[in-house]
Amino acid sequence: MSHTIIIAIIISILRLSVPVVITGLGNMFSVRAGIMNLGAEGMMITGAFCAVLGSYFTGNPWIGVICGVMGGMVIGLFHSLICVEFGGMQNISGLGLNMLAAGLTSFFCRSIYGTGFSPTVASIQKTGFLAKIPLIGNVLAQFSPIFYVLILLFLLCCFIVDKTVVGLRMNSVGFNPQMVETAGIDVWKLKHISVLVCGSLAGLAGAYLSIGQLNIFMEGMTMGKGMLAVIAVQMGRQQPQRILIIALIFGLCDALQLQLQINNVGIAPELIQTIPYIAGITALAMDSSAGIAPRMMQPYLKNKYKF
Amino acid sequence: MTKELTVKNKINREPVNWAKILSPVFIVLITMIFTSFLIWTTRGNLLNAYYYMIVGAFGSLSAFISTLNKAVPISFAGFAVAVSSKTGIFNIGIEGQLVFGALGSSLAGLYVTGLPGFMHIPICIISGMLFGMLYALIPALLYVKKGTGLLVIHIMMNNIANLLITYFVVGPFAGDNRMIASTNPIQDSAKLPYLITTPNKLTIGIIISIAVACILWHYLNKTTSGYELRTCGDNSIAAKFAGIKVKRYQAGALLASGALAGLAGSIEVLGTYHRLYDNFSPGYGFDGIPIAMLASGNPFGVLVGAFLFGVLRVGSINMQSKAGVSSEIVLVIQGVLITLIAAQYIIRFAINKLVYRKKKEERA
Repeated sequence: MSHTIIIAIIISILRLSVPVVITGLGNMFSVRAGIMNLGAEGMMITGAFCAVLGSYFTGNPWIGVICGVMGGMVIGLFHSLICVEFGGMQNISGLGLNMLAAGLTSFFCRSIYGTGFSPTVASIQKTGFLAKIPLIGNVLAQFSPIFYVLILLFLLCCFIVDKTVVGLRMNSVGFNPQMVETAGIDVWKLKHISVLVCGSLAGLAGAYLSIGQLNIFMEGMTMGKGMLAVIAVQMGRQQPQRILIIALIFGLCDALQLQLQINNVGIAPELIQTIPYIAGITALAMDSSAGIAPRMMQPYLKNKYKF
Repeated sequence: MTKELTVKNKINREPVNWAKILSPVFIVLITMIFTSFLIWTTRGNLLNAYYYMIVGAFGSLSAFISTLNKAVPISFAGFAVAVSSKTGIFNIGIEGQLVFGALGSSLAGLYVTGLPGFMHIPICIISGMLFGMLYALIPALLYVKKGTGLLVIHIMMNNIANLLITYFVVGPFAGDNRMIASTNPIQDSAKLPYLITTPNKLTIGIIISIAVACILWHYLNKTTSGYELRTCGDNSIAAKFAGIKVKRYQAGALLASGALAGLAGSIEVLGTYHRLYDNFSPGYGFDGIPIAMLASGNPFGVLVGAFLFGVLRVGSINMQSKAGVSSEIVLVIQGVLITLIAAQYIIRFAINKLVYRKKKEERA
C-alpha cells in the first residue's frame, strides 16, 4: 500500500517540477549571457495560451506545442529587443512583460471564449506507446511526451553549457562583454540567441502546463512557476544540474502541499508552500560569492545608440 | 549680432532636456494607441469604451469619490517606489510590505481595545508602518551586509507574504464568519473618520496622502539629507568619494519605502475594508512601479499618476459592464506602460535625434 503511495508521490513530484525545470534551463542561458529574465512568467503563460489556441484551431496537440514555443519566443523577442538591442532596464522590462502577457492572454481568452478559461482541447497527457514496455511501462506512460523531451533537453543543455564553444562564449558574454567583443565575437547576436532560447523553452513549459498536464487554459495558470524558475536559477548559480535538483525540491514541496490539502492532516498547506522561498532566501543569504565577480547585468550598448 | 548670440549660447550651456520631458508623454501616447488597437481587434466600439471608462470614473460625485479612494493606496505605493528609486534601488517588494502593513494595522485595530479614536488610529497606522518596515528589514540587511541581489529576494518575500496572510486569515486570526477568508471587523475606534459621507464615503486617507507628498518633496529637495540621498542614486561612486554613507542611505530608503508601503496597506484596511481580507490588494504594489518611474520620483507627479491609475481601475469596471470590454485591459495597459518605461533609453535617444536634426536644419 505504502509502495503505491510513494510511487504516486514521486510521479507527482516529477510532473510538478517539469515546467520549473524547463523554464529554469531557459533562464539559465539568458542569465549566463547577462540578461536577467523576470519575464519568464509572461513567456510561460503566453506559451500556455498559444498552445491551447493551436490545439483548438487545428485539433493537433503537437501543432499546439509548436505554437506555444513560438508564443514564448515572441515575448522573448520583445525582451531581447528592449534589453539587448536598445539598452533598456532588464528587470523592469521583465516585470512589464509579465503583466502584459498575463493581461493579453486573459483579454484574448475572454474575447475568444467568453470566459476566463478555454474549452477542453486535444492534449498530450500520456505517452501511449511506452505502455507496452513490461513492468514499468504503465508508470512511464503516465508522463506527457514533453517530459521525455525535457530529459533530452536537459542532457543537451548540460553538454552545450560546458562542452561547446557557444556555451562558453555565452558565459563569457555574461561576465565581460567588452572582452568578448575585443575577441571578435558578436556580443549582441549571442545575447539575442540566448534570450530567444529562453523564451522558447519557457513557451514549451507553458505548453506543458496547458496541454501536457491539463487540457485547458485558465487565466493565471502559471501561478508563480516562472518566478520559481528564476529563483531556481539564482540559487543554482546557473548550473543545469543544480537547477534540476532545486526544481525537484520545489516540486516536492508542491506535491506535499497538495497531499496535505487532500488528506487534511492539520498542517496548513500555505506554510509548506513557504518552505521553498524561505530556503531560497537562506541559501542566497549564505551565498558567500554574492558580491564577488558578479555578472555584467547592465546593458551593453551598441555604439550607434550612444548619446 | 551673431557674436552676441554665440556668446549667449555658450553661457546657457544647459539645454532644455526635451528627451526627459517628452518621453513620459510619448510612453502614454504609445500605450493609448496600443490599447485602442487591442479594443478595435475585438470588434469593440472604441469611443464607447473610452466614454464609459470616463463616465465610470467621473460621471457622478460618488464615482469621483471612489476614484479618489482607489488612488490613495496606489499613491502610497508610488511614494514607496519613488523613495527607494531615488537611491538607485529598485524595490519590487512593495506588495509584500503592503500586505504586512495591512496585517499590522488590522491586528492593532482588532486587539488593542478601550482607546478613543484619536489615539487608536495613530497606533494602528504606526503599527502598520512598523510591520511594513520590519518586512523590508530582511532584504535591506542582506543587501547592505552581503551585497545580495535584492530582486529575487523581494520576489520571494512577496510570495511568502501572500501565503502567510492566507494562513493568518484562515488560521490563527480567522473571523467568526467562516464563509469569507477574513479577520473579524476592526473596532469602531480604529476606523478612519470620513470627510464626506453623503454620496459616497471619502476618508481622510487622501489628506494623509497629500501630506506625505509634501513632506517627501520637502525632504528630497530642500534638505541636506535629501540631497545626499539623491546623490546616492545619481552617482553612487561620486557620493562615496564625497563622504556620503551610500549603504546607510540605501538601507534607510528601503526601510522608509517599506514603511510607506505598510501605510498603504494600513489605510486600505482602516479606511476601506475595515477588516483584513485574503488577497485584498489587486496589485497596488505593482501599480506603484510605473507611476514612480513615469514621475521620475517626483512626489507630486506620483499623486497625478496615482489619480490616473485610480481612474483606470474604477473606470474599467464600468467599461466592462457597459461596453463589454473586459477589465483585464488594465493589466495590459500597465504592462505596456512598464515595458515602455524599461525601453525609456531608446525613446529618449529617438527624441534627442529628432530634436537635434531639427536644430541642424535650422542652422543650415
